[in-house]
Amino acid sequence: MKTPPLARVRGYVRVRVRGEKIETFINAAASKQLRVWDVKVTAPRVMEFHVLVSDYFRLRPLLKQTGCRVHVEERFGVPFAMKQVRRRKFFVLGALLFLFGLYMLSSLVWTIDVKGNVRIPTEAVLSAARQQGIYPFQWTFRLRDPDIMSKGMTTQLKGASWIGIHREGTKVSIEVVESITPDAKQLVNPRHLVAKTDAVVTHIIADQGRPVVKQNMRVKKGNVLISGSLGTPDAPLTVAAKGDVRGLVWHEYHIVSPLVSKQKVFTGEQKEITYFVAGDRRLKVSGYGDIPFAQYETLQDESRIKWRELSFPIGWLKEIVMEVHYVSEERSAEEAYKAGLTQARADVIAKNGPKARIQTEKILHQKADNGKVNLKVLFEVEQSIAEELPLVRQFESRSESNSE
Amino acid sequence: MSRIARKLRQWSANWFDLPQDIVMDTPRLSMIGNRHIVVENHRGILHFSNDHIRLALVTGELEIYGSELVIRTIWTEEIRIEGFVRDIKYHGTGELT
Repeated sequence: MKTPPLARVRGYVRVRVRGEKIETFINAAASKQLRVWDVKVTAPRVMEFHVLVSDYFRLRPLLKQTGCRVHVEERFGVPFAMKQVRRRKFFVLGALLFLFGLYMLSSLVWTIDVKGNVRIPTEAVLSAARQQGIYPFQWTFRLRDPDIMSKGMTTQLKGASWIGIHREGTKVSIEVVESITPDAKQLVNPRHLVAKTDAVVTHIIADQGRPVVKQNMRVKKGNVLISGSLGTPDAPLTVAAKGDVRGLVWHEYHIVSPLVSKQKVFTGEQKEITYFVAGDRRLKVSGYGDIPFAQYETLQDESRIKWRELSFPIGWLKEIVMEVHYVSEERSAEEAYKAGLTQARADVIAKNGPKARIQTEKILHQKADNGKVNLKVLFEVEQSIAEELPLVRQFESRSESNSE
Repeated sequence: MSRIARKLRQWSANWFDLPQDIVMDTPRLSMIGNRHIVVENHRGILHFSNDHIRLALVTGELEIYGSELVIRTIWTEEIRIEGFVRDIKYHGTGELT
């Protein structure tokens, strides 16, 4: 033990004792169990030592007995610091005021974040929040329960299906989930539905307008299928024709399918080359040496130094060289022909909408030469054939109907 | 301590194989290099100065010579001295066994 435990907290002093019988004094102090340490003789008949404040006052009778004189040299520890603090009242007051101010400022709402709104303007959300008591410089302890506030805001804000309020320190974030409303009906001009291509009508349903054609009728491109003009010539009435018209359409395909199909395959072997880029110049940093692949493809990934929207002409370029290896597969004429046909079928469906259905297919011509199969196929496809044609209203000459 | 009591203590210390300084008030001296001295069972300081300390023991006295001698701590039974120790002298009366 050098110093008693918590000496700093309890406070201790360094004293200088002068007298003839300092040894007797020390012995007496030790036998009275006073906590005395670091006893030093500085000059003949003079010694210095440390003693706890509580024990310092118990030294007095001993001093009287031995005829020594004491002088306090230095004071240490909290009790003396407190004394100094009492002398500097305004400093302490300022420190406390600072802490109080910091606490007060940190219990204000400083920022409000609105997230997730697309249609509802942020101002509307903020004004609804203000009515619920959320606004900048509001005391956080005056905010009500987030559940109650969010419920109030949800009823206030039209078009919001859920509102979440979350406070993090001085920041309140409001998360808005907008309700999904059905799209408004599109306004359409009066129109006809006309044929897209030459076809044979298989199916016609008019939701609006007057059907002009019937099933199994042959139509030419541009023929009116469902007319949008109703009424008599004296009192014409035009509507937007609407309906579903389907017909059989012929598509002729010329397919060339090679007997040897070539496919590109990555072997998985790759090499990375990195460059340092400055402007148009680049400096190879790593990946020296020849490319060890016979056939390869390269992928480039460039990253430039960016700061906000500014992009500097300095950066890194990473090139990945991947080994490629071509696999050629030979197939019989039969297989090539089948592959070509499936491809053509998929193409027909893709081009004519998902509702298109291949009714029949006829192979007109088939020949294999020069390592490929030539095919000519006629597809009979049932598909939608309607196309919109707007009706131009003519105000001047009412009687004259517009051309179809 | 009477003569009989001392005999009894000595006998019991031997019998139980206990160290002498615990049972009797025999001084125990430990040194760490020449920097520290711990003396247990001392009987007070007779003289204390920067370069010379005299300690009273049960029988006899201990003299320490050195420089920059400081009493680190002092209790009724134990004293710790720090400094550069040069010389130690033990003046025993020979009575203690």
